[in-house]
Amino acid sequence: MSSRILPQFALLTPQSISEAVDMLAQYQGQVSVLAGGTDLLVWNYIRKVKPTYVLRLSALDDLDYMNYIPGEGLRIGARAKVAQLLEQPEVAGKFPALYESALTFATPQIRNMATVMGNVLRASPAGDCSCAILALGGQVVLQGPDGQRLVDIDDFWISYGVTARKNDELAVELRIPEPTSITRSAFYRLTRVHEDLAKLNVAVRFEMCQNGCRSARISMGCVGPTPLRLKQTEKLLEGVPVTDELLQQVAAAARKEIAPIADQRSTEEYRRQVSGVILTRVIERAAGTHRIAI
Amino acid sequence: MKTKMITLCVNGKDHRFEAPVNRTLLQALRDDLRLTETKYGCGTGECGGCTVLVDGKDSICSCLTLAVEAEGRHITTVGGMTRNGELHPIQVAFIEEGAIQCGYCTPGMIMKTASILANNPTPSEEEIRTGLEGNICRCTGYEKIVQAVQRASQMLDTSQNQKTGGLGT
Repeated sequence: MSSRILPQFALLTPQSISEAVDMLAQYQGQVSVLAGGTDLLVWNYIRKVKPTYVLRLSALDDLDYMNYIPGEGLRIGARAKVAQLLEQPEVAGKFPALYESALTFATPQIRNMATVMGNVLRASPAGDCSCAILALGGQVVLQGPDGQRLVDIDDFWISYGVTARKNDELAVELRIPEPTSITRSAFYRLTRVHEDLAKLNVAVRFEMCQNGCRSARISMGCVGPTPLRLKQTEKLLEGVPVTDELLQQVAAAARKEIAPIADQRSTEEYRRQVSGVILTRVIERAAGTHRIAI
Repeated sequence: MKTKMITLCVNGKDHRFEAPVNRTLLQALRDDLRLTETKYGCGTGECGGCTVLVDGKDSICSCLTLAVEAEGRHITTVGGMTRNGELHPIQVAFIEEGAIQCGYCTPGMIMKTASILANNPTPSEEEIRTGLEGNICRCTGYEKIVQAVQRASQMLDTSQNQKTGGLGT
């Protein structure tokens, strides 16, 4: 049930990151952090959360950035919008999986409001940017009272809606490593219309070599409590040519490795069936000319 | 009641008033400023009825924006599109193409169109359809809406050549 009126809360407007961290420490557990607001306001409307305090990041302009640093990779500040992924030429060129996830992400209005960090912090199994970032690999930078710590994206999601961020930490930056000249990546989202959440999403990252794939990272969303790495399936791809036969094995392995549920968007059976199909298509697209046909 | 004194710049005019901090931009527009042209549809960012323009370019959902967060930005509603009593070419295009049935989605559609054309003055049909995602017309009159955007694009292109026009901020 949705109400037109948001519950009452007090507004905190820190003027610096350290002030924000102090406030988070002071009001631990009673604060919701507001960046884009596209999840937080909906959750407040439906009373899924009723924070005593809303800490807004609106004064922290220095977290707006999305910087590509040659040799290091992509740095995404906590306030950077999903729409910024579509404006930065290096994202399309060097991180195609992330670019493609932003292309189909919700609607233009939501892309203009929602932050990439918010998508990761939401810890939803259906997060599109989250799925792409899990395949690309990366780190979340958390600022706490005792300084910064970096959490690998593989360890960031604990369970549905729960992350490694502690109550007194502010997530300030996402880091996505620089691809090499042999890195390929791709993303695909299965959905009825873009406005809907994904029925299933898949992202892959490969390091390609002459004989096929040197190493692989595969992530799939909507098939478990958080976005999942399919590590068993990845192993099948490593060091061997990408053939039709291999892709069939990969599809079968993916179907076994996932744990989908049935909900209003898809049945469990359907998700299991399409997971292999979508995965092989994404692999073919990422592998591109490196694919060896027999 | 937790309130805050805020200044909202809407359609080029500053409004200073005291608003509860949990007030959304949509509520502030409709209930505090009595600018009721921006519509409440779903309240959860899915229908686009509440779409307004920020800083003359970006479309946002005013139902998912706190009023306090809109401070310091230039907000344009469909009421700010007219100039000296004359309809904006986008509005004229919607009328001439018959792109209005019940009219409830129209304010949002027009602001979305303004955003599409501000970012890309000559969009293809596919770009228009992709750009209009997030704005739902329950009368399902999408064909004529797409035609209206195409016509508005042509009209603005022509008027740009004659004089510097541009979208309202």
